[in-house]
Amino acid sequence: MSDEKFLEVSNVFKSYGEGESRQEVLRGMDFSVAKGEFCVLLGPSGSGKSTLLNIIGGIDSADDGFISIGGDKLRDMDEKALTQYRRKHLGYVFQLYNLIPNLTVKENIEVGAYLSDKALDIDELLKTLGLYEHRHKLPNQLSGGQQQRTSIGRAIVKNPDILLCDEPTGALDYNTSKEILKLIEDVNKKYGNTIIMVTHNEAISNMADHTIKLRDGKVRKNIVNENKVSASELDW
Amino acid sequence: MRNPLNNRIPKNIKKDWKKYLVLCLLLILTISLVCAMYVANNSMERTFAEAFEDYNIEDGHFELEDEATEFLLEQIENEGITVYPQFYKDFTEDKDSDGTKEADIRIFEIREEVNLVALIEGEMPKATDEIAIDNRHAGNVNMNVGDVITVGDKKMKVTGLVSLSDYSTLFIKNTDTMFDAITFDIGVVTKECFEGLEGTTVWQYAYQYNDRPTTDEEKKILADDLIPKVAVLAATGGYLDDEDEAKELSDNVEIWSDYLEDVQDKADDLEKRSEDLKARADEFEREGKALEAESVELKEMALLKRGASELETFGNELKNKEEELQKRADELKARGEALQEERDALQAEGDALKALQPTIDEYVDNLEALEKYEDHINKLTDFVPEYLCQAIHFAPDDMGSDKAMCEVLLIVLVVVLAFIFAITASNTITAESKVIGTLRASGYTRRELLMHYVSVPVILTLASAIIGNVIGYTLLRGAVVFVYGRSYSLPPIKTYWDGEAFIRTTIFPVVTVIVINTVIVYFRLKHSPLKFLRGDLSVRKNKKAVKLPKFSFFARFRIRIFNQNVPGYLVLFAGIFFVMVLLIFSVGMPVTLKGYIEKADEFAVSEYQYILKSTEDEDGNKIDTKTEGAEKFSMENLSTVDGVRVGEQVTIYGYSKDSKYYALPYDIEKGNVYISKDYAEKFKLSEGDTVSLKAKYAKDAYRFNVVGIFDMTGSIALFMPNDKFNEIFDLEEGSFTGFVSDKEITDIDDEYIGAVITSDDLMKMANQLSYSMGGIMDIFSYFCGAMAILIIYLLTKIIIENNATSISMVKVLGYKNREIGRLYVMLTGIVVILSTLVTAAISYLFVRWLWAFVMYGMAGWFKFSMTPLSIVKCIVIVLIAYTVVSLVDMRRIRRVPLTEALKNVE
Repeated sequence: MSDEKFLEVSNVFKSYGEGESRQEVLRGMDFSVAKGEFCVLLGPSGSGKSTLLNIIGGIDSADDGFISIGGDKLRDMDEKALTQYRRKHLGYVFQLYNLIPNLTVKENIEVGAYLSDKALDIDELLKTLGLYEHRHKLPNQLSGGQQQRTSIGRAIVKNPDILLCDEPTGALDYNTSKEILKLIEDVNKKYGNTIIMVTHNEAISNMADHTIKLRDGKVRKNIVNENKVSASELDW
Repeated sequence: MRNPLNNRIPKNIKKDWKKYLVLCLLLILTISLVCAMYVANNSMERTFAEAFEDYNIEDGHFELEDEATEFLLEQIENEGITVYPQFYKDFTEDKDSDGTKEADIRIFEIREEVNLVALIEGEMPKATDEIAIDNRHAGNVNMNVGDVITVGDKKMKVTGLVSLSDYSTLFIKNTDTMFDAITFDIGVVTKECFEGLEGTTVWQYAYQYNDRPTTDEEKKILADDLIPKVAVLAATGGYLDDEDEAKELSDNVEIWSDYLEDVQDKADDLEKRSEDLKARADEFEREGKALEAESVELKEMALLKRGASELETFGNELKNKEEELQKRADELKARGEALQEERDALQAEGDALKALQPTIDEYVDNLEALEKYEDHINKLTDFVPEYLCQAIHFAPDDMGSDKAMCEVLLIVLVVVLAFIFAITASNTITAESKVIGTLRASGYTRRELLMHYVSVPVILTLASAIIGNVIGYTLLRGAVVFVYGRSYSLPPIKTYWDGEAFIRTTIFPVVTVIVINTVIVYFRLKHSPLKFLRGDLSVRKNKKAVKLPKFSFFARFRIRIFNQNVPGYLVLFAGIFFVMVLLIFSVGMPVTLKGYIEKADEFAVSEYQYILKSTEDEDGNKIDTKTEGAEKFSMENLSTVDGVRVGEQVTIYGYSKDSKYYALPYDIEKGNVYISKDYAEKFKLSEGDTVSLKAKYAKDAYRFNVVGIFDMTGSIALFMPNDKFNEIFDLEEGSFTGFVSDKEITDIDDEYIGAVITSDDLMKMANQLSYSMGGIMDIFSYFCGAMAILIIYLLTKIIIENNATSISMVKVLGYKNREIGRLYVMLTGIVVILSTLVTAAISYLFVRWLWAFVMYGMAGWFKFSMTPLSIVKCIVIVLIAYTVVSLVDMRRIRRVPLTEALKNVE
């Protein structure tokens, strides 16, 4: 982990709607994340954490302020450049997995591998994910946890600089959630990716290097976790 | 690395195999049919084209009134052509020798030089009681090799079935509106047999240019040049080959004869006057001599009496005598001078007559020459250049029009199917929006996803095109050739690779599917990754619910469903339109033909039309009839020079005053004409328009002003009073062509009658069309029925799939399947019924337009029309098809799982 600002979020504003229905979601958000850091964006519903994640992911844009990754400002990128940015640097994990239903586990992971010149070894990754035996199964033959593992596998197989996780345990039970968090922790350690995870589960912040607490579109607390615990030690 | 999304392609196809199977079947069916049509047509066209060389087809043929002399043929051949006698005799044909004539048969000798015969089955005749007959006619009337038929009065054994290269379509006459492969046959026999057959020989001669033209333009230029030359040579027995000279000759015979008579009279007068002058000169000479004798006597008397006493008295007498003699001598001198003057004048007249001698000699020579070849004068009765010969060209030309119709069919179907593919892809995109959002968020480009979603339609279209082509080249090609074989007498057809078919049946569908799907999928994928992740693919911004009137809840629900599925219902409308076009055509064509046959009686202005060979009998009396109601009329054929079809034959009729058959005013100005309804419709003419026509075999051009439309269908014709007809065509006053009559004319000798046209002849076209198109129409009907079911099945399936979540949701809420059916199936039913009614009207107009378009390229005019009942039949077929599909739809609705509603809800 480096102390350099790898991801910088600078005075970001974002609102939706117009006139009376206008809603300000982000109101001048500022923070930075170092390379290889595990950062949790924590906040209740409507705090703007998913919107922020989408803007970091280049699938939404800020009205004001900027986000830079490794010194490159996203606002300076056109759509094509943003696609390339996502292709090269980002991995995405969603709450509802969004797997391709008629591709097997292995094929879903290959979908991610296809995007990278430096893709990880798929079989090894499958073993890491604990999915090797299930590699020929279709998503509907898997449990929720296995589907989320597959989704994580698809995201990290291209060995992205940043792994964006949007409520990755939101649809999972306690034990499965812990398994997934453990997996993300392992991935972070093994591959050194910067991880930004959106959650409303405060307990998860205990395993992060860095927690940003959000409320009403603003950073309320920016905490560096000196006493982080491993995922297996988490409890809620 | 290979795009892993490609792994989905077979899985996606497998998942929706029923839908894709139907789409592929439709494509394969159409592509194979169109491919077969193209390959068969082009193979036949190529075979026909090669037949010109393979079977050495003529460049044209002409018929003479009598057999040409060798001298005439030599003179004709001097015009740069080689002439081949191709005589024939027409007989009746009795196929089962039961004494009833079933057809007419035209017998030729076996050809050895031009227009060679293709043996299709059996062998060529060798004995004098053997014959090979036309393959097509034999097939139509169920005649086979080995049958014994009666030709005229002679029993003959059929040894073979043949196809004559110059009779691929059995036209009795080139001017006929339609061929007739049912009641007209062609036969070939040996030379000995032909010579032995008792019948009237038609002196037909085929010709080929020594320097053969290659294009129709060249052929036309050569034929236009050749026709008048052959006509002149025939008319002068080969002694003159210049049209102007021949015209001058015929025009000047009388002038020259009169002149020679006049010169002769003058010569006779001169001779008579010379004789009179001679007699008077002789008398003058005699008188001169008498005077001379008296003068000598007087001199002698003077000498005798010189010494006498009575000298003075005698001197006075002598003086008186001398004076008298002098006076007579002066008188004689004057008479001599007058005679000399008269002689000089006669001499001058004689010299003048002598100066006329070369002219007299020339005229006498010409007249003697005329007298010399008068015995050899012949007459050109028919001249048909190959490029105008319907028997040779009708089949290949007809094939072109069928191809055009198939092309329209292919275009419409491919566009409809491309839209169905695109809608399917679009629905898949909606269903997979979150996955697409994830992929886009992960860095997949829009182009990669576009290619992925377009690949299934493209692969399936390509596969269907390949399968369709294989079937088209193999199974269906034979079927199409067979169907054409029902009409035409085809030589053996070879299959040729057809680049045009490949482009139209493979490249065109694939490109169309790529373009339509790319455009639609591109716009579907234009949403941001975030919108995909949120499943918000609505195009309309600020979408607000449309306020609906206070209908029942179910009615409002249906309207909402309709609004949600407008693109799907639009494609359903297009699909029904396509099916309806096919149905209207396949159901309407036999109805049209039936209507035509039923109305054939009305087409003829009279029951009989008698065309006379000559309007004068042997004694020079005008031929007339006492048949009640018979009227004289005149007829001439001209051809169009502009409009929708150049070269279309227009029959010009001259009608009698107060005609009961042509109820038209007689006192109209020269150049003003009435035209038939068909002429007006085909060439879009109306009162006040001008038509330009030209003579078929000459350069004479005509312009007529249309002053009205005569309510006569069944022919492209133009009408004018008979006296104006004669003026316009430089005919003698009172000339006519024949008689029209509702009663049979029996008081004119058969030898003067050239042809009799009855209403049966007018039905020939409809009968043959009905027969030859029957097969295609049957295939089309089945094809349309299947197509209607498949297309409606496919489109309603898409609509239900698109609404699967909503259907599942209302199920969760406790709606029964029957109630859901009332919502979805009934709504689709209403859309189908409305679409069917609207498209029936549109399709009818479209097919009428399409048929007119096809007819512009063919001779004659044949309007597509349907009875209301037959249109209702088409509507009922579509509705029955939907009823079948709606049962399947109900089953589909029952099978939508309850979990569908919950599956994608966060």
